[in-house]
Amino acid sequence: MAEVRPDEISAIIRRQLSGFESEVDIYDVGTVLQVGDGIARVYGLSKVMASELVEFPNDVLGMVLNLEEDSVGCVLFGESTLVKEGDTVKRTKRVASMPVGEEMLGRVINPLGLPIDGKGSVNASTYLPIERKALGVIQRQPVKEPLQTGITAIDAMIPIGRGQRELIIGDRQTGKTAVAIDTIINQKYTHSEEAKKLGIKPVYCIYVAIGQKSSTIAQVFAKLQEHGAMDFTTVISAAASVPAPLQFIAPYSGATLGEYFRDNGKHALVIYDDLSKQAAAYRELSLLLRRPPGREAYPGDVFYLHSRLLERASKLSEDLGGGSLTALPIIETQQSDVSAYIPTNVISITDGQTYLESNLFNAGVRPAINVGISVSRVGGNAQIKAMKKVAGTLRTDLAQYRELEAFSKFGSDLDKVTLRILAKGARLVELLKQDQYAPMPVERQVISIFLGTNGYLDSLKISDIKKFEKEILEYIELKYNHIFETIKKEKDLSESLIKDIRKAADEFLSTFKKR
Amino acid sequence: MVDSKVSFRYASSLLGLAVEKKILDAVSMDIEFLKSAIQENAHLRSLLESPVVKPQIKASIIEEILSKGHTETKKFVRFVIDKSRENLLYGIASKFLELRDEHIGFVTVSIKTAYEFTDEQKKRLKEKLENFLNKKVGFSFKIDKSLIGGFVAQVNDTVYNASLKHQLDLLRVQLLENSSYIGQKN
Repeated sequence: MAEVRPDEISAIIRRQLSGFESEVDIYDVGTVLQVGDGIARVYGLSKVMASELVEFPNDVLGMVLNLEEDSVGCVLFGESTLVKEGDTVKRTKRVASMPVGEEMLGRVINPLGLPIDGKGSVNASTYLPIERKALGVIQRQPVKEPLQTGITAIDAMIPIGRGQRELIIGDRQTGKTAVAIDTIINQKYTHSEEAKKLGIKPVYCIYVAIGQKSSTIAQVFAKLQEHGAMDFTTVISAAASVPAPLQFIAPYSGATLGEYFRDNGKHALVIYDDLSKQAAAYRELSLLLRRPPGREAYPGDVFYLHSRLLERASKLSEDLGGGSLTALPIIETQQSDVSAYIPTNVISITDGQTYLESNLFNAGVRPAINVGISVSRVGGNAQIKAMKKVAGTLRTDLAQYRELEAFSKFGSDLDKVTLRILAKGARLVELLKQDQYAPMPVERQVISIFLGTNGYLDSLKISDIKKFEKEILEYIELKYNHIFETIKKEKDLSESLIKDIRKAADEFLSTFKKR
Repeated sequence: MVDSKVSFRYASSLLGLAVEKKILDAVSMDIEFLKSAIQENAHLRSLLESPVVKPQIKASIIEEILSKGHTETKKFVRFVIDKSRENLLYGIASKFLELRDEHIGFVTVSIKTAYEFTDEQKKRLKEKLENFLNKKVGFSFKIDKSLIGGFVAQVNDTVYNASLKHQLDLLRVQLLENSSYIGQKN
């Protein structure tokens, strides 16, 4: 710790004291009637607003959720043991809000915007309310720029556009968070000088952790830092140990911070990990507030809970600066049951969903994306032309493969056509496997899918495919780097470029086979 | 909650009647008397709440208590008992007094001070507050040593805090601002 000189301290105190004004302070109060389980009923506070922040003793903050005829229902953001019956509650006259700004990048904050990483306070001057209305039709425009996740299977077949809401859904231990973290890491490229030259705008990321173990959040933070992704990322942490009200508002804080970037003409990506836990937290406090339970004991407005959150993701019109807020909500299913209440709700709200399956995961297909049932309803418009060209046949090839896969298990004699489809499918599946924390730039994805769909892998052993892919990409980078450069610049595959790729592939394939 | 709604209905109609017949002072005196009677006498309270006691007996007891009261008050009380709402009489009385204060522009201000105010100070405070609130002011004084100095005035839900203790609390918050202490606590 730096040395502190006593005279400096007294100078600081003197400065602080000189700005202190003593006047009669006027504020509104109420009295706690009943407190427990993170809920307080308050008498008084007659002019309080819905979702206003109120102050309890011992620095505990609360938020007003129920306005009743003779009492007010508040949720507590702190320990309910610190509040007693008969305590005075003060109005703050501000609706629950949080500080926003670029200063938040690189920080770990709680859902109220207070830093919890021990790096001192955040000097953000702008405050925005946590609950904001989503934009209307006039302020928006269709999604048109791609948001590269760096995961080949997603970027090729389930593309995500800036301003889209794409659900990541799957059982526990299927790599949902991994997909999200890889996506954040891949945004590092958008902050580089090269991306600036190519006209790719930077994407700021917000990772909202809801109801997770603190150790898991710390791991995610460490991974992001290790890959240099914390420079443009904010982690909002509402761990499993914090009171349910904080877990409930955490995604809204994330959306508010994202909206700050969006409204300033920038691009933001916010990950809600995960909304099932948020729904459970909301159920907890709704039941404590004595709101009537409905299906699966969730309150009646649990659909609105998620729809108003995800509706805030948007692509702004050019008049408003053309910023965007992309949302990647995560939902954890139980035993792959997507017909449970929360999964069906969120599926119907979002613009598509990415299914992750545990049997694929266990079979070694990682990322364990089931491309057959995963869809992206708007992202196709945002794909670059080169990717559209090569990925067109990928989907159908894989669909045919899956259809015939069941037959291959019988081991019976199959005709040549079937065998070819099976061989190709198996190779494509192998090609789409990808390591964690190793996102792939789009130009490389294009080349590798091109090789897969054009039969360059058919003569290779399945176990060699990953090695082949890695080496040929290195080879092209060394000898035919203009291929990558052209794809990056023109975002399209011209006839001459395809010829070059074929030439390079033929050359490398012959040397690879000799080894 | 239903109770408070019902009390409000009865109280507001009695107020309307009293204002219309220009007997507000007389009626409020009766009601004040009735309220304190119920408040101070536990037997009376349990009698009113008991479903076993016949309404006629309840009516005759209340009538005897209010023997010197205005006829309109008596009529009102009999009406309340008739509708078997006698258990709400206390609530109706308090609500009535609240509504009357609002009607005539009178507020009760509870004042907490560190030391007893002199009469001169009380007079000046009253003048100040009446000007400020634009209403007639009644006081209830309380002494709270923990305030150290100054006073705290509360009008309904609004607090006017001019105590030394509060100033020190504010100073604490200001000094803690920009330090990471608050953030870490949460």
